[in-house]
Amino acid sequence: MASANHESTVSTGEKKPVLMLAEFNTPGECLHAAEKVRDAGYARWDTHTPFPVHGMDGAMGLPDSKLGWIVAVMALTGFVSAAAMIWYMNVYDYPLIIGGKPPLALPSMAPVCFELTILFSAFGAVFGMFGLNKLPRHHHPIFYSDRFAAATDDKFFISIEVDDAKYDAKKTRALLESAKASHIEIIEEEVA
Amino acid sequence: MSATTHPVESKVQITGGAWASAWKLAAAAGALGLVGAGAGYASDPKRFAFSYLFAISVFLTLGLGMLFFVVIQHIAAAHWSVTIRRTAEFFVGGLPVLVLLFLPLFAVMQHFPQWEHYWGSSHGATHGATHGGSHDAHPAPEHGATAGAHGEHAAPAAGAHGAHGTPPAAGHDQGAGGARELAGLAHMHHRTLEAKKAWFGSTFFFGRQAFYLLVWVLLARRFFKLSTEQDKSKDKRLTVVLARSAPASLTLLSLTMTFAAFDWLMALDPAWFSTIFGVWIFAGSLVAALGTLIVVTLGLRRSGYLDGRVTTEHYHDLAKLLFGFNCFWAYIAFSQFFLIWYASIPEETTFYHTRWNGNPGWQTLSIAIMAFHFVVPFILLMSRNVKRRLGAMATGTVMLLVMHAAEMYWLVLPNFKPADGHALTSLPIHWMDLACLVGVGGAYLAMVFKLMTQHALIPVGDPRLERGTQHTV
Repeated sequence: MASANHESTVSTGEKKPVLMLAEFNTPGECLHAAEKVRDAGYARWDTHTPFPVHGMDGAMGLPDSKLGWIVAVMALTGFVSAAAMIWYMNVYDYPLIIGGKPPLALPSMAPVCFELTILFSAFGAVFGMFGLNKLPRHHHPIFYSDRFAAATDDKFFISIEVDDAKYDAKKTRALLESAKASHIEIIEEEVA
Repeated sequence: MSATTHPVESKVQITGGAWASAWKLAAAAGALGLVGAGAGYASDPKRFAFSYLFAISVFLTLGLGMLFFVVIQHIAAAHWSVTIRRTAEFFVGGLPVLVLLFLPLFAVMQHFPQWEHYWGSSHGATHGATHGGSHDAHPAPEHGATAGAHGEHAAPAAGAHGAHGTPPAAGHDQGAGGARELAGLAHMHHRTLEAKKAWFGSTFFFGRQAFYLLVWVLLARRFFKLSTEQDKSKDKRLTVVLARSAPASLTLLSLTMTFAAFDWLMALDPAWFSTIFGVWIFAGSLVAALGTLIVVTLGLRRSGYLDGRVTTEHYHDLAKLLFGFNCFWAYIAFSQFFLIWYASIPEETTFYHTRWNGNPGWQTLSIAIMAFHFVVPFILLMSRNVKRRLGAMATGTVMLLVMHAAEMYWLVLPNFKPADGHALTSLPIHWMDLACLVGVGGAYLAMVFKLMTQHALIPVGDPRLERGTQHTV
């Protein structure tokens, strides 16, 4: 697969810019730069830091995560599934009296309903997070940058997509430079 | 950052206004309540005993919950909570008042079921009435032997335990099999009480109580004194000293709280037992403490105090803890119920039987506790937005505080059996409940509010203060 892909890119050989990547030396500079990018009205951009930077969500103008709603729906689904399962098994399909309790005894349903609520919530949280982050993703052009490896070490990055409506090679570069970027590069990807 | 240059003094020290005179108001209410409680004691000492225990339970759990909160902040060397820790410390500083107010309980303890058996003056009548009819099928010779073996029983023995002709307590199954079963149960109940004599009816009991009270006073004084001392001395070593003494304090606090809950609350039904009971009380205490912290700091903030150092970020975290510990409370409460319900052993089910089948008033209160101590606050406080929207968050918090008091009432009062043996058909609400609640609460809060006027409202000498102020979730 990989080799086939490689051959196809080699065969065209044509490249186009996809990202502008700005490097910052401190989390503070990166945070304030993010505020500037946000205020300039960019929509398709991201920050990359070695650790969570407090206040970055606000600086990027990110809305509240939708994940909570996914988890809530999954939790409710889990709860209802458990109750329905118990009802089907214990009341409808094969009624059994256990310990002298009625077939649909609410207290004995609680642990199972609780567990399935937790299980479905956990699935919702993990796979919902994958979905919202568009994971798994095997390839991203940002990794063409050699400097970007430092995003997991001691550097802070802002990447702006060329597809962004606000993107302008000169103005965007000027904006990032004014925000004290220590290095700016254009990342190109071969046209398929 | 720039926070160090704030004009601190005016915003962290109460100089005037409502907060400066709050303690006088609380003291007046407390005095009024205690006078009322005293009058109640004169008219009906047994009813007073239960009302007073209820009031003490509400506020002692709150105070000890605050102490627990302070201790865990030191154990974790937490910086997020530095600015709110002082408010908790005021409630800790007031604990000696509660310990003092605890003492009258020893004067009326013969009215509580766990001691009535050993020392109650009206032992025969009350015991017979409480378990009316249940002794009818008691095998006479064995009964005589049991009673005879314990000389302090009210004589004559037949009068003490027979109580023939007393109307059976409501809800008791009086079929032939049921009567035999109940007779066996009553016999076992009696034997259990005799077996517990060493625990309740001896100097060991009083020694134990003295130990609990001493531990609470000493821990409260230590954690309050060293922290306020740091305000002036700015001595960083005090932070380390408090952190070092936190683990042992936590152990002592958990053990004394657990056993005090066993001795005074669980044993109100002397033959009933639940190993998880102490944890249940503890979980409720922390809910009460966190709720009170939220409400009081919001009040201080509204009056312009706290210097902007308690922010939405702090409330978000406090509300998370409140939500978490309330879920923990529900989890423990349900665990206890679940095992007892499933096993369905009469000596265990009696606790829930009294609070569900016994009386429609208790059943309503049981449902209210389930709904407003768990279901409604659970849904209300789940969302992050609510935790950061202080009005909505405070609503859920106040609901939990009210339900904390309701829960204590629900734990204590079902064990009150009127001397005339009539089964109650509704909640035994009495004006003395309110008098004791206002009396004990007023006296405690008077001390807390007085301490607030004497010390800085945030720990200005804590080396982590700035980091705590800048805390973000």
